[in-house]
Amino acid sequence: MEKDIFLVGQGLTRFGEHWDRSLLNLMDEATEAALKNSGLNALDVDLVIVANMLGERTNNQAHLGALASALLPHHPPALRIESACGSGAMALHTAAAYLESKRAETVLVIGVEKMTDVSVDEVSAALMGAADSELDAPSGLTFPGIFGLITQRYMHEYGLTREQLSLVSAVHHRQGKENPFAQFRFDVSPEKVTASPMVADPLRLLDCSPVSDGAAVCILSTTHRSELRLAASQIASDSVSITERASITSFSATRDAMQRALKEAEIDREEIRALETHDCFSMAAIINMEDLGFAEPGEGISVYERIHAGDYPTFVNKSGGLKSCGHPVAATGIKQMIDIAKQLGASKEQYGLAHNFGGACASCGIHILENLDASS
Amino acid sequence: MSSPSIIHRAQKKRASKLQAGTVLSFTVLAHPPARFGKRPRQIGLIQLEDGSSVLAPLLAERPFIGQRVHARMRLSHVTEEKLRVYEVSYEALSEVPAIMEKTFPGYILALTGPSGVGKTTVSRMLVQMFSDVAVNVPIVTTRKEKPGDEGEYVYAPTTEFDEWKRGGLLVAATDIPSRGEHRQYGYRRADFEAIWKEGKLPVVITEMHLLKDLANTFGRRSILSFGLLPPGKSKRAKLSQLLHRLRKRGRETEAHIQDRLKNAERDLAFFKERSDLFDHVVVNKDLNVVIRSMQKRIPGLSQA
Repeated sequence: MEKDIFLVGQGLTRFGEHWDRSLLNLMDEATEAALKNSGLNALDVDLVIVANMLGERTNNQAHLGALASALLPHHPPALRIESACGSGAMALHTAAAYLESKRAETVLVIGVEKMTDVSVDEVSAALMGAADSELDAPSGLTFPGIFGLITQRYMHEYGLTREQLSLVSAVHHRQGKENPFAQFRFDVSPEKVTASPMVADPLRLLDCSPVSDGAAVCILSTTHRSELRLAASQIASDSVSITERASITSFSATRDAMQRALKEAEIDREEIRALETHDCFSMAAIINMEDLGFAEPGEGISVYERIHAGDYPTFVNKSGGLKSCGHPVAATGIKQMIDIAKQLGASKEQYGLAHNFGGACASCGIHILENLDASS
Repeated sequence: MSSPSIIHRAQKKRASKLQAGTVLSFTVLAHPPARFGKRPRQIGLIQLEDGSSVLAPLLAERPFIGQRVHARMRLSHVTEEKLRVYEVSYEALSEVPAIMEKTFPGYILALTGPSGVGKTTVSRMLVQMFSDVAVNVPIVTTRKEKPGDEGEYVYAPTTEFDEWKRGGLLVAATDIPSRGEHRQYGYRRADFEAIWKEGKLPVVITEMHLLKDLANTFGRRSILSFGLLPPGKSKRAKLSQLLHRLRKRGRETEAHIQDRLKNAERDLAFFKERSDLFDHVVVNKDLNVVIRSMQKRIPGLSQA
């Protein structure tokens, strides 16, 4: 990083179905929590960045930068970032670039999504905006369908079984049970995952992250300090349509961003002691373990098998992941950063990593946080 | 997404995608987007011969990765503006992994056609004329015995039929919808094996499901497949011929005849959809002509 950037404040709404609250209400709640947490004055914020994917389609609302800016008394400059489900990480990355270039000193980064204002059918169609509208969508495919294709292919290539796949959601639910901000705080057995209704063969209902409302806010600053320093911020891209990829069982954007992030932070993969990864579908979590380098190709499930058996230090999606926490798409990337901050604060470990992607990983953002208060 | 111009551009690109290909992956959406109706939708990721990939509906009863498919245009849906949207779908050529076709059990002579076209009469004549070569394979059925049946059926209660099916004793089975009665038909593997053991040619009467099942079980090239069509230029003329014949044979009530006619309409469509499952299509106008033309095309019979 060109400059030392600190995470000085964080705020979160609980993820879930907030029928009585608007997009703006959710942003307001998380912003207020973050300002309170930071101890800063609202006037310290000199730029607002909003991550949001679906505002126009699910809330009839564009122009979210200006809308969010009005939450602060001095109406600071504001802009909006969209990169599908990876919008959160992209907004953090944009904030880092502003801070490094000294165009801003304290940036309020908001991730927000309000998905329950429309029917499931409409949300599903809106989410297909993350795929290619002329190559993917005309076939009638939905996002669960895209990951259904990926799962079918993965099972064919590596022999992953239905029973193994079910462990992923079971682990996420078990870990999310303790998270007060999670949408679903209860256990789900692997058997229940296997027996849940089919959504996109071979993916079942409990393989999929839910439709959620929620907002998350991080305040990043170069002038105010904290114990949490941004050690790396990297983004990468890939073809939007899966028809234009050489392989659909590995995501090159994750591999690229990871390689560059480790280089930027000047650390080894093994030094990461807290990891939040983008498990929009159980299959994605397995592929992520491989692309992030925590497992060999075809063996990503071994991480979850070991966590399930209890003989692996639980540092993967300790928050419960997208499955248990909920997935208000653009808020997820910011929420992951907050989870990493909390986990590092509690464990006194030095490094944590947030991995957030859009669509079928056509865009990916990786952030590494360093805990300067680490015990080591 | 349902904007006519987007649909138009997508279709224009698809014109170049009318090629054969291979299934890279597939999925079935339990709840496809509303405009595609309420039925589950099977979608394949297909690698085409020019090396590019496409996403499109996959028409295969037993899809598998590596399956060969060919392109087929079909009606996708009608938009609110009454725009009829056609799409390129991909249809399985062979429903069986190539590896399973390595064993070649023997030939089967299959006669397929709508109810009333004369399958039974043709098969009976063939077997009578060439009894040292051709043998009828008994049809296993759950339906009750009826006057007019002439020993071509083996009757089994539904429980027993299902048990055979589960136990893998049946090589083909189908449900034929008919009011008031749950009618299942099938063929037993043992019957074919016994006939082959004698060095003879099993002759079967099939409809679309039975024919597909037999092709799946024994491999498409094990079957010398004849389609029988009623005379008549249009579909309406063909169906009216069938109606006439069904009434004349007087085996069934008018209600059953109406059911059979509905099935027949589907059977006629099947001839076009799955032309790959037929070696020869013969029009049954004159029985003697049919027999002679079949005799020429069946290797074992042409010398007889």
